[in-house]
Amino acid sequence: MTPKNYLYEMIRSELTWVVGDEHVQANEADNLGHSIDYYWVPECWHDRGERPTPPDLVVYPGNTQEVAAILKIANTHKIPVTPWGGGSGSQGGALPVYGGIVLDMKRMNKVIEIDPVTMCVTAEAGINAQHLEWEVEKAGFSTMHLPASISCATLGGFIAHRGTGVLSTKYGKIEDMIMSLEVVTPTGEIINTLPVPRHASGPSLTELFLGSEGTLGVVTKAVMKIHPIPAARKFHAYLFETMHDAMVAGSQLMISRMRPAVIRLYDEASTARIIKRVLNIDRKGAYLVFGFDGPEKIVDLEMEEACKICEKTSKEDLGTEAGQSWWKNRYKFFYPPYMFQLPQAFGTLDTVATFANIENVYWAMKNVVKENFPQAAFIGHFSHWYDWGCMLYARFIIDEPPKDPNEAVALYNRIWDMAIRAAIREGGVINEHHGVGLKLGRIMRDLYGPAFNVLESLKKVLDPNNIMNPGKMGFPGKGV
Amino acid sequence: MHIENYLNVINACRFCFMCRHLDPVGNVTFREADTPRGRALMCDRIRMDAANLSNADYIDAFYRSAMSAANRFHCVSDYDETGLVLAVRRDIVEADLAPAAVKALAKTLEKDTFSVKGKGRVLYFGPTPELYKGCAVITGGDPGKALAVLGFEAASKKVFTRFKKAVTDSGCKTLIVAEPSAFEFLHDRLPGVKVIHSAAYFVEQGMNKTGSRKAVYLESDFLKNTCGNPSAPRDLLKQLGYKLVPFGTNVEESYAVGEGAVVYDTLYPALAERLCQRVYDLAEGLGKTRFITASQTVKDTLKKYNPAFDVITLEEAVALSQD
Ligand SMILES: Cc1cc2nc3c(=O)[nH]c(=O)nc-3n(C[C@H](O)[C@H](O)[C@H](O)COP(=O)(O)OP(=O)(O)OC[C@H]3O[C@@H](n4cnc5c(N)ncnc54)[C@H](O)[C@@H]3O)c2cc1C
Ligand code: SF4
Repeated sequence: MTPKNYLYEMIRSELTWVVGDEHVQANEADNLGHSIDYYWVPECWHDRGERPTPPDLVVYPGNTQEVAAILKIANTHKIPVTPWGGGSGSQGGALPVYGGIVLDMKRMNKVIEIDPVTMCVTAEAGINAQHLEWEVEKAGFSTMHLPASISCATLGGFIAHRGTGVLSTKYGKIEDMIMSLEVVTPTGEIINTLPVPRHASGPSLTELFLGSEGTLGVVTKAVMKIHPIPAARKFHAYLFETMHDAMVAGSQLMISRMRPAVIRLYDEASTARIIKRVLNIDRKGAYLVFGFDGPEKIVDLEMEEACKICEKTSKEDLGTEAGQSWWKNRYKFFYPPYMFQLPQAFGTLDTVATFANIENVYWAMKNVVKENFPQAAFIGHFSHWYDWGCMLYARFIIDEPPKDPNEAVALYNRIWDMAIRAAIREGGVINEHHGVGLKLGRIMRDLYGPAFNVLESLKKVLDPNNIMNPGKMGFPGKGV
Repeated sequence: MHIENYLNVINACRFCFMCRHLDPVGNVTFREADTPRGRALMCDRIRMDAANLSNADYIDAFYRSAMSAANRFHCVSDYDETGLVLAVRRDIVEADLAPAAVKALAKTLEKDTFSVKGKGRVLYFGPTPELYKGCAVITGGDPGKALAVLGFEAASKKVFTRFKKAVTDSGCKTLIVAEPSAFEFLHDRLPGVKVIHSAAYFVEQGMNKTGSRKAVYLESDFLKNTCGNPSAPRDLLKQLGYKLVPFGTNVEESYAVGEGAVVYDTLYPALAERLCQRVYDLAEGLGKTRFITASQTVKDTLKKYNPAFDVITLEEAVALSQD
């Protein structure tokens, strides 16, 4: 769409008719915010004085019917529509790379019902996750979805990217928390998935939309599990000589089928760099923290057993205080200046693998970065643990990337290409919770092999005009 | 440019999403431009190219900010995002780019003069002089805070000079200030004069408990977020016998309907009404709970859009106890 031509004004009027004047914006202040999400590339472009592609129009729907009407208009005119939640995604998923409509979901922010019998909350998808948690807490419960970006992101954004909160090891990822969804399909039909997540009535439609990143439709409402507030939540930290020793302990905790709410293991480099800076714990080795929650007696018993496992291979018992301090400061890692910042170049090489493969994935990525990009530092921690494996939150950091934005972005992409392909070769999956977006679309075919054709066919059927978030998740760009 | 004194804030906030959930305006407009990140991105563009200072969309977004300082209060590194908005407003004003409505308001505020009535060792500045027996009273408009917030620094200084002269001429060494914005502005600007907030004055006097009633103390942006969150307002209400109940969903967000921007309702009545609506909505379910605010402006704004809303000021709570 070219602003200020006849068609542009006509479409704008159509959209205004649906949502009202105030909820269709085309001003430079909003366009700036919507042209940059948490993806490093638009941030870098902005930093270097470039202007990432803005949307032609930002539309703020107030309800599901309005979303449906907007998508019908977009289909008629074959205009790209990019859903936007909080813009906190790190993969460029919410960027309007072809202009068109940014569908900002934040106006759809209501908690519709808290059901204490089934223990679930029904909410509109644009609600800020922290606002949702506060409302649920006010009713005496918790969603237990506590990611570092709880204050930044929306419920729909987490659903779209299969997000993970800090307590995932016990309470699950967002896909384990969702009971059912209301979705507007790309052609504007309003559908509901089945009301319970476990059934034998065919494949799970809920699962189809979980992780679909706005390419298969717009999530407008979700029913999500809620939990009682646990009577106790306790933490403990240990220091290990090496990351491997700590990994042995961590995996033992999981394969002995204990149910920690959280385990986090920092490699030697991030223990020296991050744990020291944020928690003021200055040690050589690998820092591991875990926590349990629930009735106090059970928590104490679980703690005792978990400590026994760690004591076998640890170098130092850092105690409960060093664990508690991690919990207290768990979000601090993500605030400036503790977080990496432009002009630094940095990327989170989020990968998930089985216990058999995860250390190989770590070393493959680390070696690739070390050998090919001597200017980059590599650090990692293992964030979300399952009974079969865990997630590696690896990071590369270049303190002084090239000044020229094109060179900087090319270098950045090269690191991604090499590191991620190395991870895939070792059985790693990209990724555990950041999603694919624009950033990793080109790797989807390598990851899936021929199975990607199935996803592509689904996309074609659901979105015949390819209006929904074109060019993301490895799907084709503008034009069918 | 003044924003250059806030480069650390621009650099930190421009790509940070961590306090977006606390921007009172962002929470009712849902616009990216109404978040610390959005505003820092615009300031960054201005830093890169001063021509962007004249962008009318940017200017409107900067003046639309409620400047509650809830974001800084939340920020683990205390980045002063409100200070950045103040700085860019000063740049806008100095480049003669302020919106017509802002300029017209500033013209009115510039005319404020001050006079002192009565004699005493203590001077009172606020809307309820009858509560302060034996105190002299300084009357007039805003002592310069509103102009400062709008970015009219030079004019603010002139008005403040007139205020200061009136205080000095009175010979009083203690000044009691009721309005939180004025208290924040004056508390460290009058050498040799002890400036105290009216709540602290009453707590020091000791109030009689006159019954027990549930109430919400609606936190003040200025007292909580920029003046160290003194306990005096809550202590005072407890002395008066109020049982304070929590309000809203959290203790960080500002529910002060634009108090931080001092003249918000004058410039952005439609947005002020939405800020009020959020308070009314959250108040539903609290039954007959009374709301008590430190700010006359906050009270007036809340009453304006819902005259039936039960809200009084701290001073009115004291007055009621004396009836
Ligand atoms: C400081 C920081 C820390 C982070 N920590 C975590 C963490 O601990 N765990 C974690 O999982 N993530 C984390 N993230 C990443 C980010 O918060 C998540 O990816 C989140 O899911 C993005 O949500 P959003 O609402 O901001 O979505 P956006 O960034 O706006 O959009 C992300 C994708 O979802 C699509 N989308 C958004 N809303 C909808 C909808 N209603 N329907 C369909 N599609 C939609 C968009 O089109 C886009 O493709 C972090 C990010 C930051 C900035
Ligand atoms: S004030 Fe702090 S938390 Fe808020 S955007 Fe700035 S750096 Fe982030």
